[in-house]
Amino acid sequence: MPDYRTGGRVKEETTVSDGDARQHNDQELAPQSEVEPLAVDYDSLGWGRDLYFDDDLNKHPVIRELGKHFPDDMLDVIRFRNETTIHVTPSRLREIAFFLRDHEHISLNALTDITAVDMLTMRTTPRFDVSVMLYSIPNRVRLRLKAGVDDGEPVPSLVPVWNGANWMERECYDMFGIIFEGHPNLRRILLADDWDEGHPLRKDYPIRGWKEFPSYNKERTVHRTRTRWTGRGV
Amino acid sequence: MSSQTGQPTDAELIKTAAEGDMTPYGKPGEYISGTTPPTGTLTIEDEEFTDTGERLMTLNMGPQHPSTHGVMRLLLKLDGESVVQCDPIIGYLHRGTEKLSEGKRYAQIVPWTDRLDYTAAPLNNLGYVLAVEKLCDVVAPERAQYWRVIMAELARIAAHLVWLGTHALDIGALSMSLYCFREREMIQDIFETFCGARLTTNMMEIGGFSRPIPDGLVEQVRNFLRVFPPRQQEYADILSANPIWLTRTKGVGIISPEAAISYSLTGACLRGSGINYDVRKAEPYCIYDRLDFEVPLGEFGDVYDRYLVRMEEMRQAHKIIQQCIDFVDGNDTPLMNFESPYAIPPHKGVMTTAEDMQRHFIWVIKGFNAPVGEVWQSIEHSKGELGYGIVSDGGPMPYRLRVRTPDYVNLGVLPHIAQGAMLADMVALVGTIDIVLGSVDR
Repeated sequence: MPDYRTGGRVKEETTVSDGDARQHNDQELAPQSEVEPLAVDYDSLGWGRDLYFDDDLNKHPVIRELGKHFPDDMLDVIRFRNETTIHVTPSRLREIAFFLRDHEHISLNALTDITAVDMLTMRTTPRFDVSVMLYSIPNRVRLRLKAGVDDGEPVPSLVPVWNGANWMERECYDMFGIIFEGHPNLRRILLADDWDEGHPLRKDYPIRGWKEFPSYNKERTVHRTRTRWTGRGV
Repeated sequence: MSSQTGQPTDAELIKTAAEGDMTPYGKPGEYISGTTPPTGTLTIEDEEFTDTGERLMTLNMGPQHPSTHGVMRLLLKLDGESVVQCDPIIGYLHRGTEKLSEGKRYAQIVPWTDRLDYTAAPLNNLGYVLAVEKLCDVVAPERAQYWRVIMAELARIAAHLVWLGTHALDIGALSMSLYCFREREMIQDIFETFCGARLTTNMMEIGGFSRPIPDGLVEQVRNFLRVFPPRQQEYADILSANPIWLTRTKGVGIISPEAAISYSLTGACLRGSGINYDVRKAEPYCIYDRLDFEVPLGEFGDVYDRYLVRMEEMRQAHKIIQQCIDFVDGNDTPLMNFESPYAIPPHKGVMTTAEDMQRHFIWVIKGFNAPVGEVWQSIEHSKGELGYGIVSDGGPMPYRLRVRTPDYVNLGVLPHIAQGAMLADMVALVGTIDIVLGSVDR
């Protein structure tokens, strides 16, 4: 697993080791109740805005709801600088977007951005992360959905969910070559229609492009003179 | 009634429009979620005939048309005078800012952000440095935050003045552009005093401001604050109740609230439709949570409402600057978070001590290694929500920099509102979205 994912993850159950028990010897001597402590009842937590920023990621309303309705499609959860990122199965992206948009309490009703990241040098597979930035106008909460796809693998288009996705996905196709399945008109938008050099925001695309462009005005009209500092000239 | 001219104020005009017989959001049920007019399918060779044998003409508007505010081309399919289909073609000013940023160190990217929306360069700078500060967990000192807000709000007024001047010029009020650029000149003079540049300011730095505030700047800002409100009232008096202006703008380009959300609109285009979303209130950055200001909302979502919203935003920006300038006047607290390794080291001892010179040199030549992670920072730009997303792999250069410019996304609604519009209204529709092609094409 690459390093960048260790920013924060769903807490795993940890068992108290012997070393810890020795340190907390006083607590062991104290009388203990035989009744097991109540586990957090995640269903009764409600939908408050502070839950979205709680340290316990299992309290996050979106994670709770996705865990109920899409248990197999929530692949990973990352928390970094108070931002939550959920990695989902690419083929279910549109259903999850519909679900989050129409959910009564979560109501992530605004699409902020669709873009991609070429993870070529950061991991082996899948190559791209399609990153969808959602915003909830009533709750004032942001959420990032990510879908990892390989080169040529299609992602369901979000145009049926939000019309604003139209141009964002066209730009994403233009820059990365990601295919959005169901897009009404997946064509280049910022680059020229006859651009034949590939997709420039991929990491293997050189900054100056693949083509060799002719350079003009190679002959000097004003000759260089020898300077004291460089020793070169003429 | 405003006391000076006897004309109704903007608030009264909104009220009268609501009481009138105008249908708020066009025909009910007209907008169906999930349907989108086709874009990118039109070519100039297209020729089509209706059932009655009338020819639908395809017309090229731009890229040199003055009302496109730059290099945008609109392909219009016309049935007589009304637009059947509109297809914006952009990308003539694409410079690949995102790709170029992957080969530059974090501090080197700030000048590139100037060139995105060149009418409000400090706002672009602000969004970027806030994103880097969020990634590196740096907090700028309080006084620097106040100066940032002052410069950002001045830039907002400057950008709105360009919008007002050119928008009114397109529709026919020729003198407005001259008046607006007169006040914009004052703001650019303030920028020049502050940082030495007028257009591409390169003003903000990671961690605050490393150079002292010039003498007399506070007085210059106060002078602008004194001059601006009566002049803005002049503009409102010229336009707000002008019969030609009202005819050209009222009921034109109506965006329903559902369509505004579906098209991911932000800024005045969203608030003109009555949806209350302003990043300064929703997710306060800098010190906006301490300031007292209001978010104006429209009712009908037409061109005239968006005009009123932007005019009121200028008044609110004036109010914000007034609050901030009182704080920074005579305040000598530090401007830069020099303790942070991510901020530029002090320039003070560079010419006298070797250690300071080395620290400064290394920072400038090698930059700093940012923490590994991914952040997103949105700010309220004059045109909407400007978002910067940074993916860092722990190196001195961003692995990926995403710039979500507001007018690129807002322009996507043009095919929707242009359907059925008159050809003469196209200039009003392009003007009301408030685009700057440097920001659209990136």
